[in-house]
Amino acid sequence: MKYSYIKPRPKTAFTSEVKLLLTFFSITIFMLFSTYAFLLFKDYTFAKDLKHIQHLKAQLKIELSKMKDDIVFIERENVLAQSVQTKNLVLKDSITNLFDLVPQRITLSRAKLQKNALILYGITPNKDVYNFMLQAPLRSIFHRTYSSFYPAGNGWLRFVSTNYTDEELPMLEGELENED
Amino acid sequence: MKINIARQNIYLIAISLFLFIFVLLFSFLVLIPQGKDYRKNRVELKVNSKELRKYQNFYDETEDTLKDLQKKHRHIIVAFDSKFNPARFQKQYKSYFSSLELSKLQKSARKEEFTTYEVNTTSQISSPKSFYNFLDAVNKSDWIIGVNFPIEFKRDGELIKSTFTMQVISNSKDENKTKIVEL
Repeated sequence: MKYSYIKPRPKTAFTSEVKLLLTFFSITIFMLFSTYAFLLFKDYTFAKDLKHIQHLKAQLKIELSKMKDDIVFIERENVLAQSVQTKNLVLKDSITNLFDLVPQRITLSRAKLQKNALILYGITPNKDVYNFMLQAPLRSIFHRTYSSFYPAGNGWLRFVSTNYTDEELPMLEGELENED
Repeated sequence: MKINIARQNIYLIAISLFLFIFVLLFSFLVLIPQGKDYRKNRVELKVNSKELRKYQNFYDETEDTLKDLQKKHRHIIVAFDSKFNPARFQKQYKSYFSSLELSKLQKSARKEEFTTYEVNTTSQISSPKSFYNFLDAVNKSDWIIGVNFPIEFKRDGELIKSTFTMQVISNSKDENKTKIVEL
């Protein structure tokens, strides 16, 4: 028995409204989860990059500190080498000056240079030549000067001139002594 | 008054509400805090990257300075690191003297990174000029050498006998590795 001439529509829970609603929310939820996944991924890469940067920074710090030490050490080496070289040059000038100080008429047989003293041995024609031409300039350099004479065979005099300075001679002062 | 709402519509409203609340809760409880963390981390990373660039620049500058210094003072650095070799020294500087003898090398002092060795030298020179030339040459030697007191010059026939002390300064940083070549 038939009551209607139209064919009944099949009933479904997914009506067009529900489908629209689900589509809308599906897109929304997809976007939310995508954003969340993006944020999680970025946070992970940030953490990884940060760790890498901190590792690099620590490495750079160590290398920088090592390089700074090397620079300081090279500078110290340079200062020390320069002072040694200067000392050698000053010593050379001092010895040149010492030999220039000795007049032609006086002959040195021995010269001892010490940190605070200069001892000269030699022969002089007479005391006056020694006193005026050698002792006078020595007195101007040293604080204490002592001389003694002995007769030489040919009528000349042998002399020993001992000269002391209370402080280290500035011209002979060396950096190495300070280093000790 | 009775409101007639179809059951289907009630389901629709319920699903809508449920999904809406889910979206809201997810956004406010999960997404927004995560977003804040992201911003904070991004700023932190930016600051750290900037610092790293600064460090890198400073590192490059320091490295350049060090290389310049190493290049400029190469001779001094090599001289401090060189082992003192008396035989080689005699060979190099014998020309300045009629004869040259060196005593055994002795350690005299050590201060921080440097060790000083002393060697007594006995030589014969024809004139003081030879000694001056030696003092000039010793400044360019393969070692850091300072001529020190006491210095003595004594007439010995036509020659001058000279005795003096030399201080050889070497880098004691790697002293265990550096063994001084003894006579």
